Amino acid sequence: MLELFQYEFMQRAFVAGILIAILASISGGFIVLKRYSMISETLAHAALVGVAVALVSSYNPLWIAVIVSIFAAWTIEFLRSSFALYSDAVLSILLSGSLAIAVIIVSIGGEFNTSLFTYLFGSILSVSNEDIFTILIFGTIALFLLVLFAKEFYFIAYDEELAKTSGVKVKFLNFLLVTIVAIIVALSIRIIGTLLIGALMIIPTIAALQFRVGILKTSLLSLFFAVSSVFLGMIISFHFSLPSGATIVLCVLSFFIASLFVNKK
Amino acid sequence: MSIRFTTPIFDVKNLNFKVRDQFILSNVSLEIFNGEYIAIIGPNGGGKTTLIRMLLGLEKATDGVIKIFGKKQKNFKEWNKIGYVPQRAAQVDQNFPATALDIVKMGRISKRKLFSRESQEDRDAVIEAMSKMDILNLKDKMIGTLSGGQRQRVMIARALASNPEILILDEPNTGVDTLSQQNFYKLLSKLNKEEKITIVFITHDVGVIADDIGRLFTINQKAIICNNPKEAMSCEEMSELYGISAHLVHNHKHEH
Repeated sequence: MLELFQYEFMQRAFVAGILIAILASISGGFIVLKRYSMISETLAHAALVGVAVALVSSYNPLWIAVIVSIFAAWTIEFLRSSFALYSDAVLSILLSGSLAIAVIIVSIGGEFNTSLFTYLFGSILSVSNEDIFTILIFGTIALFLLVLFAKEFYFIAYDEELAKTSGVKVKFLNFLLVTIVAIIVALSIRIIGTLLIGALMIIPTIAALQFRVGILKTSLLSLFFAVSSVFLGMIISFHFSLPSGATIVLCVLSFFIASLFVNKK
Repeated sequence: MSIRFTTPIFDVKNLNFKVRDQFILSNVSLEIFNGEYIAIIGPNGGGKTTLIRMLLGLEKATDGVIKIFGKKQKNFKEWNKIGYVPQRAAQVDQNFPATALDIVKMGRISKRKLFSRESQEDRDAVIEAMSKMDILNLKDKMIGTLSGGQRQRVMIARALASNPEILILDEPNTGVDTLSQQNFYKLLSKLNKEEKITIVFITHDVGVIADDIGRLFTINQKAIICNNPKEAMSCEEMSELYGISAHLVHNHKHEH
């Protein structure tokens, strides 16, 4: 097994994968508890618009994806808090709208090529040093903010109004959380893919919740499931020549199925 | 009951709240002073909860002024001085990953400064609030596994953890059994008398606590303030406002 770590591209893949697993599972915990799971799917599709722009303009896709994804997150939060719209409907509108825009941009550019396919399903083995550098910078900022405001995010997820009456800046923190999630989603799509990132953000927390333990243990379990899934998924995909993103998702899904037996009534 | 006329905790003047041209609250003025025990009654839909939500800044008044501890509401920042137990206190998401301790700790967030970590003072305040509510033995239990009465105590402990000067409770007895309710009333009285915490309490059971409360507010779009709750229901104006001819039944078994 150890021979796969001799390859430089595998070392990069493991570093990037584990960083993304940590970020996705921690941020995912808060959005699951807020009943806002679908936002990761929507933001991933919005990030795809950034990728499409980058592909036709030759800029770094990761950076443009981060910017577009943040813009989409703010639009969602603005629409949700300013108009009488259902949250899930807003997410659905943005999801299909983003996908449509991405497809149009790429088709105008005349390049509906394999690059876009890479971002749909992820390609962890093609991670460059520049990608790792970008993930490290944005990821460190995102993780710092998540840990700094963890108690507030947790309180808001428990009861938004109660948090407000305790002086918590709910509106600002809701914007901050979706911004962080937008960054993490955009960083992840290269590795896990637009269509699969939601799984890595949501499933580890759902699996951890089946153990019915306090928030700290739930977060640690979720982190364990996410990191283990990325680790196992990459080893399995390497040995059996399977797509890495999909293999990782199947691993995390296995943890979820196993966790259901823990909570069996 | 003697009231020290210092700056009121809440000073509400000419408060109006309209939804689509319909008055929910009309020209409500009231003051709540330190050390008081106030019950708020009124028919469903009469605006009791709306009033509380406006005091807490959860709803914006159409017009009128709310001052909290002498400051205009928009300038008021010391929310740790106010403990709030909402109507749905006993109803929680069964799957939410929180122990009773996790919930009570949330009460310290209003005191938290950016970059500060949990201090010994925070830990002591949380344990003290849980001891007062007699729920220390439940601290590691998941909130979803507790009974209605136990959850109610957890929610009050959360509100007490910030050492508030006033506790506002909005019908927190919904979904709680009778025995727990009686213990709960004793507890409120104790918090008011021994801990000197001002209590504002929306209830339908005013008869049970008539001997404890200092003043009674009846809210039905307008507010009628009764300084002698024992005679409240004989007050014709109040009965009219409540919409029924009502009599107050004293609970003589109620202990002090």
